[in-house]
Amino acid sequence: MKRTASRLVYTLIVLFVSSVAVFYAIRLSGGDATAAALPGSATEEYREAFRDRLGLNEPIYQQYFTYMGRILSGDPGNSLTNNKALTSMLSEHGRNSLVLGGTAFGLVFLVGVPLGIIASLRRNSWADQGIMSMSTVAMAVPNFWLALLAVWLFASRLGWLPSAGCCSTKQLIMPAVVLAFEGIALTVRMTRSSMIESQNSDYVRTLRAGGLSEWRITCKHVLRNALIPIISLAGLRIGQIVGYALIVETIFGWPGLGQVLVNAVLRRDYPVAQFFSLVLVTLVVMGNWVADTGYTIANPRLRKST
Amino acid sequence: MSAVEIKSGRGEAASSLKGMPLLEIEDLRISISSEGSSFEVVKGVSLTVCENEIVCLVGESGCGKSMTALSVMGLLPRGVARVTEGKIDYEGRDLLSLQSRELRRLRGDFISMIFQDPITSLDPVFTIGSVLKEVVRSHRDVSRAEAKEIAVRALVEAELPDAADHLDSYPHQLSGGMRQRVMIALAIALDPRILIADEPTTALDVTVQAQILENLRARQREREMGMLLITHDLAVVASVADRVAVMYAGEIVEEAPVEELFANPQHPYTQGLIRALPDISVSRGSLHSIPGRVPSPQTPPPGCLFAPRCVHVLDSCWEANPELQRDGAQSLRCFNPQPFEVR
Repeated sequence: MKRTASRLVYTLIVLFVSSVAVFYAIRLSGGDATAAALPGSATEEYREAFRDRLGLNEPIYQQYFTYMGRILSGDPGNSLTNNKALTSMLSEHGRNSLVLGGTAFGLVFLVGVPLGIIASLRRNSWADQGIMSMSTVAMAVPNFWLALLAVWLFASRLGWLPSAGCCSTKQLIMPAVVLAFEGIALTVRMTRSSMIESQNSDYVRTLRAGGLSEWRITCKHVLRNALIPIISLAGLRIGQIVGYALIVETIFGWPGLGQVLVNAVLRRDYPVAQFFSLVLVTLVVMGNWVADTGYTIANPRLRKST
Repeated sequence: MSAVEIKSGRGEAASSLKGMPLLEIEDLRISISSEGSSFEVVKGVSLTVCENEIVCLVGESGCGKSMTALSVMGLLPRGVARVTEGKIDYEGRDLLSLQSRELRRLRGDFISMIFQDPITSLDPVFTIGSVLKEVVRSHRDVSRAEAKEIAVRALVEAELPDAADHLDSYPHQLSGGMRQRVMIALAIALDPRILIADEPTTALDVTVQAQILENLRARQREREMGMLLITHDLAVVASVADRVAVMYAGEIVEEAPVEELFANPQHPYTQGLIRALPDISVSRGSLHSIPGRVPSPQTPPPGCLFAPRCVHVLDSCWEANPELQRDGAQSLRCFNPQPFEVR
């Protein structure tokens, strides 16, 4: 528990530092907020008054505290381009992203771990070699290219799946698989090496010497030990999925947070860019904290020591 | 006075009690293959362990003693080492030709093993109680409560302090000595007939070593188990062994009851080992060592494997490897044995 609590404090510090970084990065990235919100014909006086109203002429640190105060009071503001409340954008697009990201995250482990286990149990067989070479290829293929290839094959040529859109199950398949692809490949390799390391360990030899069956040793002891490093890297997989979601959502026209963020940056809609960057950062940091808590539960050596 | 003393009287008492042969290893050969080439690490070892007897297998690291022990358990590292020839007979059954299921039934129940490194030898994510109970229940059809009872009794016999309180402990919460006691408990829980201990005290503090050995010998005597103790430490041999086999480069070079071996070692290698023991009564004397190195198993020398390091080497030693000659209770593999002089 102590470790989990201290990790939480650490997580909050990371959140604070990254919120400052996101805020400054957006302010320093240049571009004029009025260009996004006002028509080209607006006069300079009008533009100046607009900036004043948004507080853009205050010192940056003051803007930061004002802004964080508003976020914590539950009112992060509105979009500059369509004046939609950011909270309603979050609930609408956030749900789409959770569906896509959650599916991809599930695929990473539900496909990656079993394939890794099969490869480790049938080491050097054709199944192992097939799985391992597929995973090498999967790690080398950039996901935007994979997305285009998938659209060409399954949408244009075969016509099995829709090329884009939201939010039916059929429309979910391609973006979720593409988003999970690299994570699956990494998880397969990690599961395999972690299983093999555990199979060759001294404690497994002890259990064999005790006369336990191979099946029991593998299913209970080897697997349980092998899962520890996999859980510890689940946080990294979350970060990877959030990062790739920007690309994959844009390609497949999936209206999630990534797509909103990309469009906001392109349109210099800074309140949207700022808010959704913070949301994604929070998601990744908290996801890491949850993964770390899972790691602590799985590994008795990290629980309270006597 | 040597630092090594043999406890008087024990040897005779033990030899009169010594029972039927339990484990008979006959002309065992083990090969290791790595990167396409393969070489022999155990070259025709024969060894017998009887009821109520502690046989020590002594030799430097890499001489094949651990491989010999692992082959009895059927636990040679897969794909790396394998038995190419020989027989391992346990009460009339050849362990090498058993189905893996039958061998598994014997392991932990009739033949048990304790390993060198207690730190890495226990599963870190399960409590010691759960592993002990699991081993018990994989061989005996007993209830959870009965399994727990057997587990606690084994821990008490292994002299783990506050045994019952440690059932829910994880290995990392115990010291190295305590973990080795857990390993002993795992090995003796089901009253095996044969206990193999591979360097059981090497990784432990000297003060704990003596306690662990004492405990192992006590359990062996009260159960009249046959015990094969593998060690490189002659002090360990002197304190517990009934009979000793000295191994060099994959072969047994000398075998004798422990008193004979220390009083009158025949093989120049055994003599070197005994001379190499530090003598605490001589302050600042120089330490004795055997010149040269163990031959590489890939390129063994012609003739006697010990010839390149031997002080009494003859011309004939380079031409043929001597056979192991049996003379009463002693066996010797040497063309030119010389009487032993202490220094």
